[in-house]
Amino acid sequence: MVSAYELVDELPSGQARAAAWAAYALTTYADKLVAADGGSDVVAEAYARAAACLDVARRGGGAIPDALPHWRTPVRSRNQLVGMRDALDALRTYLAYELKNAAAPELARVDAQLARVDQLWIERPPPEIRGALGSALAVGLDEAYALGRRLTS
Amino acid sequence: MGLFRPARTVTGPHGDYWELYVSKTALPAWREGKPGGFEYGVGDPRGDLLELPFMLVGALWGMVIAPLLRFVALLPVSVVRGRRSRAVRIEAVSAFPQREVFLWTTTDDGVDRVLDEIVTGLAAGKFVQPEGAVYSGREW
Repeated sequence: MVSAYELVDELPSGQARAAAWAAYALTTYADKLVAADGGSDVVAEAYARAAACLDVARRGGGAIPDALPHWRTPVRSRNQLVGMRDALDALRTYLAYELKNAAAPELARVDAQLARVDQLWIERPPPEIRGALGSALAVGLDEAYALGRRLTS
Repeated sequence: MGLFRPARTVTGPHGDYWELYVSKTALPAWREGKPGGFEYGVGDPRGDLLELPFMLVGALWGMVIAPLLRFVALLPVSVVRGRRSRAVRIEAVSAFPQREVFLWTTTDDGVDRVLDEIVTGLAAGKFVQPEGAVYSGREW
């Protein structure tokens, strides 16, 4: 069976590819979080939504989630932040490739969040900084997810 | 960078005076214990008098000694944690008409620039949110 990583590259632009993109983004997010931090509610939710999106992509119709799953508490652990940042880097790379331009203006909102993360990224960040990093990464991930939906629709 | 000497001072447009402290150490919170479990009510006045020294000792313990012991025990941990981190705390303290403390957290790379922006903001009567810093608002 074709995975979320492959399906998004095989379909033409349209509703099915937008669903494949959603599955790709959700799977990437979950995989990066698992690699950095292990399982969590967000990981389980992301995998579940990814499976539903793959179904939609294969059937060619259905509902796609509006956003990636969000955390229910404001402050993330260091490992969760690493997973979120790796996911955002991966989604940005895919989008730049899709746009055929690593400096495309469409990426500005994602890059603004990555720049904010770069400024605050330190070893052993205190809770105040972890809260801000988690917030910037969550916004960046949502921006990337939404941009991907627009590009693949 | 010091805990007890302000890095900058600034006066706002309405005469409010601020001292800005830069530190890598978040001091442990001063937490007072609950008062002792003495019951107040109508009883034998001689018994109440006998309880008075215990109430005083209990109050002294809960309000001063226990918080001080906790503070002293946690202080080395706070200092070591601060030394190992690249995070820097900037606290703006105003003592009048009542003591207020506002907190920003940044990294050691950007502390001078962030401090400049905070000072400029306070001089204009604003609590700014500089790039590369996290504004946490009023500290309680």
